[in-house]
Order: sequence, then C-alpha cells, then structure tokens
Amino acid sequence: MNTENSQQLVYVIDDDEAVRDSMGMLLESADLAYRCFSSADSFFDAHDGNQRGCLVLDIRMPGMTGLELQQKLAQIGSSLPIIFITGHGDVPMAVEAMRQGALDFLRKPVNEENFLERIIHALDQESGSWHQKLDRDQAQQRIESLTEREREVFLLVAEGLANKAVASQLGISERTVEVHRAQVMKKLEARTLAQLVRIHLQSE
Amino acid sequence: MAKTSQPSISSQLSEQLSAQLPGPATGGDDARLETLLKNLPGMAYRCLNQKHWPMDFVSDGCFELCGYHRHEIESQQVLWGDFTHPDMIEEVDRKVRSAAESGQPFEVEYRIIARNGQEKWVWERGRAVDRRSDGVVILEGLITDITDRKLTEAALVGAEAYAQAIVESALDAVISIDNGGAIESFNQAASSMFGYRSDEIRGQHCRSLAATSFYREFDRYFQRSQTPAKRFPSARANSLELNGCDKYDNEFPIVLSMREILDVGEKKYVILIRDLTEQRRAEKEVREQRDMLAHVDRLNTLGEMAAGIAHEINQPLTAISMYAQSGLRFLRRQTPQLQRLEDALEKLSQQAHRAGAVIERMQEMTRPHQSHQEVVAAEQLLREVHELAEVDAQIRNFIIVLRLDDELPNVNCDPVQIQQVILNLLRNGMESMRANHCKPGSKIILQARTSATEVRISIIDDGLGVSRKLEKQLYQPFATTKASGMGLGLSISRSIIAAHGGQIEFSNNKTRGATFSFGLPRHSG
Repeated sequence: MNTENSQQLVYVIDDDEAVRDSMGMLLESADLAYRCFSSADSFFDAHDGNQRGCLVLDIRMPGMTGLELQQKLAQIGSSLPIIFITGHGDVPMAVEAMRQGALDFLRKPVNEENFLERIIHALDQESGSWHQKLDRDQAQQRIESLTEREREVFLLVAEGLANKAVASQLGISERTVEVHRAQVMKKLEARTLAQLVRIHLQSE
Repeated sequence: MAKTSQPSISSQLSEQLSAQLPGPATGGDDARLETLLKNLPGMAYRCLNQKHWPMDFVSDGCFELCGYHRHEIESQQVLWGDFTHPDMIEEVDRKVRSAAESGQPFEVEYRIIARNGQEKWVWERGRAVDRRSDGVVILEGLITDITDRKLTEAALVGAEAYAQAIVESALDAVISIDNGGAIESFNQAASSMFGYRSDEIRGQHCRSLAATSFYREFDRYFQRSQTPAKRFPSARANSLELNGCDKYDNEFPIVLSMREILDVGEKKYVILIRDLTEQRRAEKEVREQRDMLAHVDRLNTLGEMAAGIAHEINQPLTAISMYAQSGLRFLRRQTPQLQRLEDALEKLSQQAHRAGAVIERMQEMTRPHQSHQEVVAAEQLLREVHELAEVDAQIRNFIIVLRLDDELPNVNCDPVQIQQVILNLLRNGMESMRANHCKPGSKIILQARTSATEVRISIIDDGLGVSRKLEKQLYQPFATTKASGMGLGLSISRSIIAAHGGQIEFSNNKTRGATFSFGLPRHSG
C-alpha cells in the first residue's frame, strides 16, 4: 500500500496546447506540481487508481469529453476532486457536472487567484479523504487479522455491550469473552474502549 | 360643228402620237382614223368648254374607261362632268378654263367614277381647237386610265414612308454612312443619344461618335466590317462594345453593329447603336444587391458561429491571462525568476498574435465588400477557410479533412465570397450530418482537384443526402430545413458561383451523404 508521503499532482487536461502550457506555468509559479494531458483518453489510459491530487478538466474536447471522463472515474471509484474549466457558458453542462459531484466549474478566462485557491482547496480535500482512506485501510487490515470469534466479540464490544451481555449473546462464558477481548485490543493496537470504537468507525 | 372638227382631231392626234406610232397619221382617211383611235389606250374626245363638258365626239375607248357607249355620250344623255369625281371637278374645271382662255394645251390628272361605281385615275391632255359662233370654246383631247400607275406610285411612297417611320421611331440610333465613313443620315434616336441635329452631323466621319480612347478599336472594326471575308459569322459576334461620346463630350457605354446596305452603285452601310447606360446601371444594381445580400449572409453565418468564435478567441485570452499572472508571480518571488518571466512574456506575446489573427479573419468576413476578382493561390484560400470552419466543427464535434492535390495552381476569383461559399457548404454538410446522428469525430471532406482548366472544389459530407423534395427547394431563398438560419446560404452561394461563370453541382454519395462541388477557373500564366 502507498505511504503517506505519496505526492499530490494537479492533472491538467485540455486539448488546447497554449491553455495547457500557461496553466502549467501558473501552477509552477505557485509551486504546485502538475502534469498535463491533451485528451481525456490519454489521462484515463494512464490512470491506475494511485494518483493523488486533483483534476483541472476542459469540458469539451475531441474524443472523450470532460463529463464522460468524470463518469468513468466515478465508476471505478476514484475520489479525485474535479475542477471543470469551460470556454462556453454552458449552463446545462455545468449543472450536470456539479450533479455528478464536481468540486467546481470555472469559466475561461479564469481569475488566477481564485483558480489557485480552488486548486489548493481541492488538494486539501483530497488530502483529507486520502488520510481517511488510509485510516480505513489500516483499520480494515487490522480487523482482518482477527479470528472469527474475536471478530464477533469486537463488533459487540464496539457497539457498547458489556462482557456479560456479549457472553450471553454468543453463548460463551464471560471469562472466554475477556480472553478474546484482550487479544482483540492487542491485535488492533487499542489501549482503551474509545480507541476500539474509533477503529470500528474508521473501518466502515 | 362636227364638220370642222374632224381634221383638227386627226391633226392633234397625229401630233400626240407621232412618237408612239409608226409612220405619220394621214388625214382624211376615216377608216384608218377609226382603226387608229380604236388602238389608242383611252378615249379621244371633242367637247364644248361648258359646264360638265357636253361631248359630240368620243372614240370607242370610252366604254372601257367609263362603262358608257359612244352613242350615250355623243347624244349627251350623260355628260363627262357626271363622271368626274366631285372632289376634283372644280380644280379640273379651273385648269381647263384657264388653258382654254389662253389657247395653251392643258394636262390634268384626276379621278372619275365609272358606271359600275369603280373609281379610276385618269390622265387628260387637250386644248382649245376652235370657237363657236356664240363664243363657246371647242376642246379636243385624250383621256387615259392611269389607275395602275397611281397605285404603284402610292405603294412606293407608302413603303418608303413606312421604312422612314421605322427608322425614325426606332429606340436605337440608326445611322447610314457612305463607303468612306461619312454620315449620310441620322435618325431621331441618334440625335437624342448624341445631341447632334441630323444636319449638324451629316458629312462627318462616324468615328467622331466614339470616345477618343476607342478610335483605334473603332477603326479596326470599321475596316473589318468592310471586308466580307473577315466579317464576323453571326450578328451577335458582329458587334462592338465601346464608349460613345456625345456633342458635349460626355462618354457613355454603347454597343454598335454595322451592316452593308444592298444598293446599286457605291457601297453604303448602316450602323445601329444602342445606349448601354441603363443596362450597365441595372447590372451594377444587381451586383450591388448580390454583394449586399452576401454581406448579410456572412454576418448571419458569423452570428450563428458566435459561440465557436468566442471559444476561439477565449483560448488565447485565457493563456495570455495565465502567462501574465505567472510572470508576476515569478517576478514577485524573493529572488525574482527573470528567466521564467521572460518565457512567460514570450509566450504571452505569441498568444496575443494568435487572438489577433482570429479577429482579423472574422473582420475579413464581416467587412462590407465590393466583389472583385483577383489572382489567388488556391491552397492558401482553402487552408484559411478550413481554419475558419474548424471553429464551427469543434463545437459540433466533427472533423474537417482537407484533401488537396499537390501544387494547386492559382485561380481567378473573389476570395472572400468564395470562402463564404465553401463555409456555407461545409456548415450545411455538418448540419446534415448532425441531423443524420453522425457520431462525434465524424468526418466531412474539403477536397480540391486540378484539371486543365479549373480547380474543382468539393465538399463531401456524411449526412442525409439530398432528397427529391429537398432538391426542388434547394436554391430557394428563405427555404431552409434548419431550425435556425435564414435559408439564404445556398441561394447566395449559387449566385456568387454564377458570377464566377460556374454553377454549384450536387450528387448523392453511393453510401450516404452528398457531395457539392464547383469549379474555379485556373489563372493562366
């Protein structure tokens, strides 16, 4: 799995070379790392699910359009935030894009300060969700190391049941519950009940 | 009175007819005289110079002339004055009377009304031969039927008057000249066209009706028209367009044609001249209207393309703005990055030029434009219009494929209007492809092929094709299948191509879609 320090990139996808190039230079001037693609197809081909950062996406392009790319990424579970850029004041398209979860919809020529702000916002958001995902992955991984019985005990304890209640529900002795619980705490690296509960929530 | 008259009739007849009859007439031989009188055309007479000229002798010719027999006239049952046309009797009487008084012979022409009511013209010659004891003058003479001659004369006069009337009322100038070119006659239309009265211009050389700058051409035409072998084959080809010049030195466009007149003796010619001022004015008006409509159509087309054009300009503007901001940021760093600033400015400048070029292309299309032909490189013309149409194609998500022969020649055309036609045809094609639900990325082909005489430009689409129904209204102004648009495009395109001497042809493709094409004449040299 990826480490926490995998780098965020701004993916610029526009069929106009000058627009791509100037956007790249602007990002460079703001010390943001970026990568350019001249079509939605070429980005999608290069995408492997590990990309981090955000997309700056032209809505109308020859071949796959921006909206189509958005749909395809959603289908494969990508959570990369998308900022749409359009040269046309195309309201129905903007509505559609936002409905499908786009972060923003900007018109060319863009206000650069605003543009950079939105990008930083997008990167923060992605960063948050990435960490969340990272925690979830970690929690799930730890939960997977539990035995069947330990897992049953974990779920009931995390729901707030006392040992006695757990024992009666699972039809085992209270002592056995205590042994399993200690094993669960150890495997999940939780010292308190509160930590156990959080791991349960993160895993969902 | 009969006694004394016999010899004098014979003497008068012999005098009158001596030129016509062989041998001298002999007096006193009644039988011979009778024969002689019978053979006479007309009627010999003797009468009294009294009211209605009572006659006591007439020859047998009287029957043929007026339908009465000798005895009816000689018995004075009918008088000669009864036959004479009432309109003319006074005049005849006056002439005869005055001649009789002075003893001179007289000659009169007048009309008579014969027994059957038929009118005849007669010629009469006579004179006083004697005087009765009571002073009444006795006349003798000859009356002949000249109706045929009179009719022929009248017909001749009529024909000439007819011809004269035609020439004078003609709207074209009709001028006759002699073999050397001197003007002999000048009709009314010629006078009002050139300002000369016919007596002012008569005798001058016809060249003086041409503007000075056209003298050489005129002389060449004049000589050629005088040489039958070199004469032009048809009347249409046998004409010359030039500027005429009137009395007041005003020049105006005319067309003239010259023909030999069939005439005995010296050769003569007739020149017909038509004033083309009105025709030229009308032509100019048509041209101006076409230009104006074409302009409206271009504005309309660009209006419809506004979204695409805005996009086309927005792209460089976006880049310019971003380069400018980037430059500022590089400059404002703690250690300004001047190299990157320079890069930014360089690229910014390029993009500004790009935007300028787009606007210039649009301006070319929107400017009011007076059509004129020039020598144009076909390839450049096609590449430019391709770029322009791309704007529209991008919005529609179609691709325009440019398929050009290597080394296209120069052509003669009005580049703005021809680009307008190509743009119209490309946009129509794409519209038809949209209606045919063509996939994004579908292709429309703009093709140019060279032949010996022309560059053939074809627009090959993948659309619905042209149905029978559509074919009928294809070129009608304001007929359109599109939801938006004025429906002027094709009718204007057609008139533009017609003004280039060609026509737009179309055919449905084998698989699907249609091909529209037209030719542009190659520039020679």
